[in-house]
Parts: sequence; C-alpha cells; structure tokens
Amino acid sequence: MIIALPTKTSGEKSFISDHFGRTNYFYIYNTETKLGEAYINANKDGQGGVGVKSSEFIINKNVEVLITPSVGEKSLRVLNEGEVKIYKSIEKIVKVNIESFLNGELKELF
Amino acid sequence: MNIAILSGKGGTGKTLLSVNLSYLAENSVYVDCDVEEPNGLLYYKIDNLEQESVLTKIPVINNDLCDGCRICSDFCKFNALAFIKGKIKVYNDLCHSCGGCKLVCPQKAITEIDNAIGVIKSGQYEDTFVLSGELKVGEESGVPIINRLLEESSKLNKTVFIDSPPGNGCTVMESISNADYCILVAEPSIFGLHNLNMVYNLATVFKKKIGLVINKTTGDPIINNYAKEKGLKILTEIPMDFELGKLNSEGEIVSKIPKYKELFFNILETVFKEVN
Ligand code: SF4
Ligand code: SF4
Repeated sequence: MIIALPTKTSGEKSFISDHFGRTNYFYIYNTETKLGEAYINANKDGQGGVGVKSSEFIINKNVEVLITPSVGEKSLRVLNEGEVKIYKSIEKIVKVNIESFLNGELKELF
Repeated sequence: MNIAILSGKGGTGKTLLSVNLSYLAENSVYVDCDVEEPNGLLYYKIDNLEQESVLTKIPVINNDLCDGCRICSDFCKFNALAFIKGKIKVYNDLCHSCGGCKLVCPQKAITEIDNAIGVIKSGQYEDTFVLSGELKVGEESGVPIINRLLEESSKLNKTVFIDSPPGNGCTVMESISNADYCILVAEPSIFGLHNLNMVYNLATVFKKKIGLVINKTTGDPIINNYAKEKGLKILTEIPMDFELGKLNSEGEIVSKIPKYKELFFNILETVFKEVN
C-alpha cells in the first residue's frame, strides 16, 4: 500500500503540514518496500486550485491513503475520484503517523 | 459618466450610497457589480425584470483523441484540469475560460461548450435603469459578469453608478476600470480605517479621482485624520441615525424622504463638479 502525507520539512521526522494544497513537501511511503521518499510540492504557490494539483500529484503516484489534518472541498472531489482514502493525522512526526495508521489508530476523515 | 462606489468590506453603506445617488441623479443607471451578494434589487423593486444568462466557454475532452500527454493540465495556471486515472478531468468552477488548453492540445482533443456562470437582471425603476449581476454559487470568478454589466451600461449613454464588490480583488479592479470618479465609503473604527486604506490604495493605483463618505459617524476622528493626512476629500459624513438605518434595512430608498434627500443630493453635486 502507498501512503502520502503533506509535510513541513522533507523526511520521516518531519511534522505534518497544516494545509494539504499548500504544503512544502509530500512524503510518500510504500508499506511493502518500507521505503519513503519526499517530493517538493511544485504547485504550492499557485493562484488557486492548488488542492486539485496536490491531489492529482499523489493520485498519479498511485497513493491509496492520505494522512492529513484536513482537506478542502476541491481536493476532496479529486481525491474521491482517484479513490484515495483520507485519514486524520495526529500532531506527531511522519514516522509516528504512519505507525499509528498501520496500527489502525487513525480515524478516517469523511 | 461612470461613478464607482467602493468599500473594503460589505455592510459599510456602499449600497445605501449607490442606490440613493443613482435614484436622485437624472437619467441614471444603477449597476450592482457585487455579484456574490447583490442586494440592490431589494431597494429597486421591479416587477418584470428581464433575465439573461451569462455564458463562458469551458473545455470538454474527447477521450478517444486524448493520449494523456498532460500538456493541457500543466498549462492551465488555474489548475482546472487534472489527470486522474488515465483521463483528464475538467473542474468547471476553477476554469477561467482562457481557451489556452484547447490551443495547446497536440491531439486536438479539446473542444468548448457554453457554461452558465450566472445571470444579469435588468429593468426600469422610475427614471433609473437598473442592472444587477448574480454569480452562481460555487463559481470562482465574477469578472465575466461584471464585464457584461459594464458593457450593457456603457451602451446607454447615461450617468452610471457602479455598486462595486467589497474588497480589492480582481472583480473590484474590473468594476472601477472605466470609472471617472470613485466614492469610498468607510466607518469610523480601526477596522474601518484598515478597509479604507485597502480601497484607497487601489483607487490611487488606478489614478482615479476620489472622494470619501464617512458613514455612521460617532465623533471618532480616526477617518478624518486619515483623510487629512492623505489629502483625501470628504464628501460628507452621515451621522449614526437609527431611523435611517432602520428604513434602509427594510429596503426603503431613503432619499425619497425629504429630510434625507439633501444629504445625498449634496454628495451628487460635489461629485458632478469634481468630474467636470
Ligand atoms: S480554458 Fe484556460 S482556465 Fe479553463 S481549463 Fe482551459 S486552460 Fe484552464
Ligand atoms: S493536451 Fe490534449 S492530448 Fe494531452 S492530455 Fe490534454 S487533452 Fe489529452
């Protein structure tokens, strides 16, 4: 399974970003290979519809689960279309969020 | 002649002024450009309004021709296109109808269809012609509607009063683009000052003639001091008046009442003098 998280800095020790569309980085983690990689959010300063671009980006990385504090209405439409499940993050670093998710401790958003 | 009435925030008396000035002026047009929250028609009660849709073009993708190169979605700076599960999706409400995606598609897979983003209502109220635009809920940009409103009003060759949208965004700029005079409306408070400063900067960037109306004055000189500092002309101060406030909130055109008429009439005279 592939998991994505919007992050403030670039790595598994980063904190989660408050804004999915305008996050600095995406951390994308593959549960089978146990490998994670950080990607710069190239659209973070876009004029509008940044959530659409962020959603498109992770969908095209074959992400199935997004862990985030919240998502906007526009992102939600795109994420639903890409069949991405959305879980609410906790105020801990990426690594802890992924572990909590795998332990079934995170709540599904929407 | 075009006179725009602006304020940094809604509810400061922008519509009160626009409605009453246009009502008193002869041979006038009132244009409600506050397309997200138009309320001029609450004052100008007209029975048989004409209604017309405002259409813009949005892209449709022919999936048989599309090869998924994503040139269009990379091109769209409004992020209205996204490549999801092998297909380009169009998010109509983000599209600004620039037509660019159709031009850049190498496969000629994009055509355009009409999309109604709102309506324009119009009618005659005594000797004032009234135009009002309304953006459909969820649509991103009211600019095409404002353009249509201004186009219609300029055809009439009358004195046009433009009730601008609040704030200082694209729609406000559009609404004052052809204005000969800008009336700024502000309330005397710190917030009022902040909002005034915002629209003042906008109007000066566009090098407009400007006058200021202070609404609901209480004796606090905060706005007067600002006006002095900027050399901004104060057209009038409307005192806090419970009765006026009540009548206005009930949708009455208060300048029909003799005791309020003079207040608005004086503004009109000063503005006309300044423009000519
Ligand atoms: S018409 Fe312009 S704004 Fe609309 S989708 Fe195409 S490129 Fe984007
Ligand atoms: S540019 Fe044309 S061919 Fe390429 S993805 Fe867009 S619609 Fe398809």
